[in-house]
Amino acid sequence: MQVVSAVGEAFNNIVLHGYASQGDAIRSGAIRKEGSIDLRIQTRRGHIRIELRDWGSGFDPTGVPPPAFDTLPESGLGLFIMQSFMEMAYRTGRPNLLTLSKRYVERSSAVRKSEGAT
Amino acid sequence: MRFDIKAGTGVTHLAIEGELDAVSVSDLRPDLEKLVKTKPQIVEVDLSSLRMVDSSGVGALVSLYKRVRAQGGSVVIKGLRDQPLAIFRLLRLDRVMLSADSRTPPPAHKQSKSRH
Repeated sequence: MQVVSAVGEAFNNIVLHGYASQGDAIRSGAIRKEGSIDLRIQTRRGHIRIELRDWGSGFDPTGVPPPAFDTLPESGLGLFIMQSFMEMAYRTGRPNLLTLSKRYVERSSAVRKSEGAT
Repeated sequence: MRFDIKAGTGVTHLAIEGELDAVSVSDLRPDLEKLVKTKPQIVEVDLSSLRMVDSSGVGALVSLYKRVRAQGGSVVIKGLRDQPLAIFRLLRLDRVMLSADSRTPPPAHKQSKSRH
């Protein structure tokens, strides 16, 4: 659930912000190609790593202030959700690279431990 | 995502089911605009059949909450569970926007309501 939420926010962030100016250009007819996102998922025991590459505008995650919850913000929540649910790394470039990773306890391993303890 | 809005006596009921995200929220927003313009006294939002919400969906619900409140009305969100409840808790909206029964998840899944 946390991984799906974080990756969904990352994907939407690229579409809505990274490719926002490109969207304007497409709508105005200045360019015809839409932006692309390269998504790679790597899993190994107890760990998942997801990389999203895009060729849109980059951003500086450290320049985004955390949401001011007492004001009931309506936007700027996606980055907070990503960073709360997964480890996040980001670098701008061609392409920009957003990496989300998370460690988790495998159910089978937990069951084995539980069985071993009894 | 499906939604249903029913104006009752004093209470307007809004039920949303499925996935409320950056794409589907654009279907909901025009109806929320209309809803706000009716200056409802109480809006009861049933999210018991909402499976998934993202920051855009939350933004639309927060906007509804703030605008109805600004007009002197109130918004109560009910039935949140699973991922949507986790998102509301993470964003610290649970204490402000949720009815008491939504702060702890209900024991059994509720049937979905009529569609839009």
